[in-house]
Amino acid sequence: MKRFTDSLLGLVVLGVSIITVLFLVIPLLMAAVMSFDSREYLGQFPPPGLSTRWYTSFFSDAYYLKGLKVSLLLALTSTCLSTMVGVAAAFTLDRYRFPGREVLSAFFLSPLIVPHVIIGFSLLLFFSSIGLLDGFVRLVLGHLIITVPYVIRTTLASLVGIRKSFMEAALILGATESRAMWKITVPLAKTGIAAGAVFALAYSLDDVSVSLFLTDPNFYTLPVAMTNMMRSQFDLRIASASVLLMIMTIVLIWLLDRIAGLDNVVGQGVYHK
Amino acid sequence: MPVLEFSNVNKRFGGELAVDNVSFQVGEGRIVSLLGPSGCGKTTTLRLIAGFEQPDGGDIRIRGESVARKRPYERNVGLVFQDYALFPHMTVEANIAFGMRERGVPQSEFAERTAKVLELVKMQGLQRRNPHQLSGGQQQRVALARALVTEPSLLLLDEPLSNLDAKLRESLRIELKQILRSAGITTIIVTHDQSEAMSMADHIIVMSKGRVMQRGSAEEIYSTPANRFVADFIGQSNWFNGQLQGNRFVTDDGLTIAVGDRAGAGAAELGIRPERIAVRTNGTRGWDGANVLGGKIETTEYLGPTIHHWVRLQSGRTVHAIVQNDGQCFARHGQDIHLEIRPEDCLVLGPEP
Amino acid sequence: MQTSATTLASDANVRPADAQSVRAPEPGAALTRTAVLLIGIVVAIYAVLMLYPLIRVFEDSFREFVPGRIGSQADAPFTLANYTDLLHPAYASYFWDTFRIGAIASCLGVALAFPLAYFVARRRSDWIRSVTLGFLITLMFLSVLIRVYAIELSFGPVGFARDIAALFGERAGSRFYIQFMVVLGLLHYVVPMSALVLIGTIQNINPRLIEAAQALGAAVWKAHVKVTLPLAARGLLSAFLVSFTLSISAFVIPMVLGRGKIAFVSNLIYNRFSELANFPSGSAVAMVMLVISMTIIFAVSRLASSSRFDGAPR
Repeated sequence: MKRFTDSLLGLVVLGVSIITVLFLVIPLLMAAVMSFDSREYLGQFPPPGLSTRWYTSFFSDAYYLKGLKVSLLLALTSTCLSTMVGVAAAFTLDRYRFPGREVLSAFFLSPLIVPHVIIGFSLLLFFSSIGLLDGFVRLVLGHLIITVPYVIRTTLASLVGIRKSFMEAALILGATESRAMWKITVPLAKTGIAAGAVFALAYSLDDVSVSLFLTDPNFYTLPVAMTNMMRSQFDLRIASASVLLMIMTIVLIWLLDRIAGLDNVVGQGVYHK
Repeated sequence: MPVLEFSNVNKRFGGELAVDNVSFQVGEGRIVSLLGPSGCGKTTTLRLIAGFEQPDGGDIRIRGESVARKRPYERNVGLVFQDYALFPHMTVEANIAFGMRERGVPQSEFAERTAKVLELVKMQGLQRRNPHQLSGGQQQRVALARALVTEPSLLLLDEPLSNLDAKLRESLRIELKQILRSAGITTIIVTHDQSEAMSMADHIIVMSKGRVMQRGSAEEIYSTPANRFVADFIGQSNWFNGQLQGNRFVTDDGLTIAVGDRAGAGAAELGIRPERIAVRTNGTRGWDGANVLGGKIETTEYLGPTIHHWVRLQSGRTVHAIVQNDGQCFARHGQDIHLEIRPEDCLVLGPEP
Repeated sequence: MQTSATTLASDANVRPADAQSVRAPEPGAALTRTAVLLIGIVVAIYAVLMLYPLIRVFEDSFREFVPGRIGSQADAPFTLANYTDLLHPAYASYFWDTFRIGAIASCLGVALAFPLAYFVARRRSDWIRSVTLGFLITLMFLSVLIRVYAIELSFGPVGFARDIAALFGERAGSRFYIQFMVVLGLLHYVVPMSALVLIGTIQNINPRLIEAAQALGAAVWKAHVKVTLPLAARGLLSAFLVSFTLSISAFVIPMVLGRGKIAFVSNLIYNRFSELANFPSGSAVAMVMLVISMTIIFAVSRLASSSRFDGAPR
């Protein structure tokens, strides 16, 4: 009897897992397939023929291309800034002990739990009140505050994993604290820093909620452009844009794996053989 | 001039004294061990010498110069960490070069000095390896080489053998001593393992709860422990409470044991090491003038080179005895036997002078 | 990956306190001037980009709405109207929809993620594990727009809408089906995120325990119910917390998939700004939302850290 319920349960769980995975994958596959639809309009799945018309349409659409350019520039700029800020914060939090350290680190991670819409809304209010109208600067600052916590988190995780004896070994061998930091701590924290930068890049490219408040008709990101298009013209150019974004994301994940190893992002657990 | 003078040093953590008015000196080329259980203050003492902690009181001098306020990189001290702490992102070569570079040794000398020190620790030719490609024993040697290459005044070893498995420990113990001797380097070994301390050090300082319990050679500490702690920490003993009266010790359960001329009288403790007890079968006698106690074997453990007996005395007390396996018949479970204990083998601790 | 937002990355090697010894305190230097400067700069950035704007929002929520300006007049009269307006059932329904649908999606998502996470966690490092892990992480990173669009395509009118709606006995455009789409959209976010949190949790549960339970006579399913689930409790709560936080803050998903019939609080805030430029009202909604989310987060965090889950890995 036990064996029967065990097998039954195993089957049910397997079935549920497979359905879950399918549910996660199928929409993406469908979007990818539809992006090659040869029809001029959005018709029922499956497409009768394949063509790259939607991709050419996307790449010849100045509206989308401008958004793409802005998104890439914005992501690179905000990632550079947030990596610098995040690394400085993480290193300082790791190295020094002072009262209120725990509170400060929770504070630095807090943007992760504030809804992005509220962040976007509040920044719009603030920037308008001080007369900051430049679209690019507003977006960079908005993206900065939402991506820095990721850099801090991964860098800190990396730093905490560095054995204290390494620093002490460097000191006793003759290095001062700052030389030890540059020659030992920073190289060993490289993966955490790089992983954080990748996170920052990905979340900057992805952001809609904050960007929607901070863009204006002349300066907008690709996701904002796509959102606007989704509400007005729900066509398959969005599908091709999505596929492009998917490819960019997959490339970023591959990069993350090369830099840090995906297993390190998740961890192996203490019972790893 | 002694290489290290550690004088009246105190160190507090929170409200507690981790190191309580400890003083000792280490002479040129000597190997000294700080021995004690975890929490006794030996590691704190090590860290005070290295400079990772600052003393609250007292002074630390290396070659006459006071270093108590100096940072670790300002002291000329080498340290081999318990986990070896080889920099994982550097090769063996780079690890060893690190100290030389930080201490301003000219780059032209790196290769030669590295080769020499690797030869000393029997790791020649492994400059290009990475730490994760080395076994535990190999990592330790590289850590040693890294510490020695800068020619420090003093070498500190933190539990050098604790991370190795038993077989490796024994072989490395001897090798380590040879390396230290041929380098001629003044060394302090911190360990909780008495066999490590006794085999490698010329001089042992036994510590407990931040204080020095006894100092001396391995033999002195073993055969004449100054107090119960040292007697128990080094080797084992069977203990009896009782009274010292002249040259006799009368235990609380009624045994009278001749102990020879002793100073003092009154309440005291008698200790006898298990290997000093002879187990005689069939009424044989071995020693003149020895105490004879009758008993019955409760348990026997045949361990190969030695045989352990637990003997129940007539008073009801159980005594642990260890005999060498000389290939002859040995006493079995349930057998009636006699124990012989020589007066000079008895440790008497604590009588009023 | 630790996704519980309020915890500092934890050090797994915590030695138990030795009652007899005096241990040195955690290593760490005392602050230097450069350190204080660096921290000061970071704190200033956060203050300017998050704290102060939020304070402005707080202030603004008490001001009367004057059409035609971004933000309110500095000298506009103080009023509680923006808040009292929210008591109106029309607004309450936004909050209700948000939290209800968010909770459904989070519970469902965590439940679905668990077996998936178990599968990955218990696998040795092989290509299946790497691919699945990569797949989950990619999904997590994937732009929300792609997901929303893909779901709209596949489960919307052009896709399987009619067939699936019929399964539930509903029309493709009904309010029920639209909620279903929104939940699907949220699940696409929730499942990969929870799976990644749970993989970490399950990996820290000793695999020998299930074997021990079986050796003692329990069937596998019972062993999991009595051993794995309780030990995973903390992780499950953590995953739920992360999912719920994200779900109630969702913006694009309800905006696109909700088709106007279902809207979340974030959409309400956006509408205040985009359609009416009514910042005071939007600010009030934002404040209420912030307070409610923070309360829930702290309450659940507290629960997850509490000692009733002692023994469970984080």
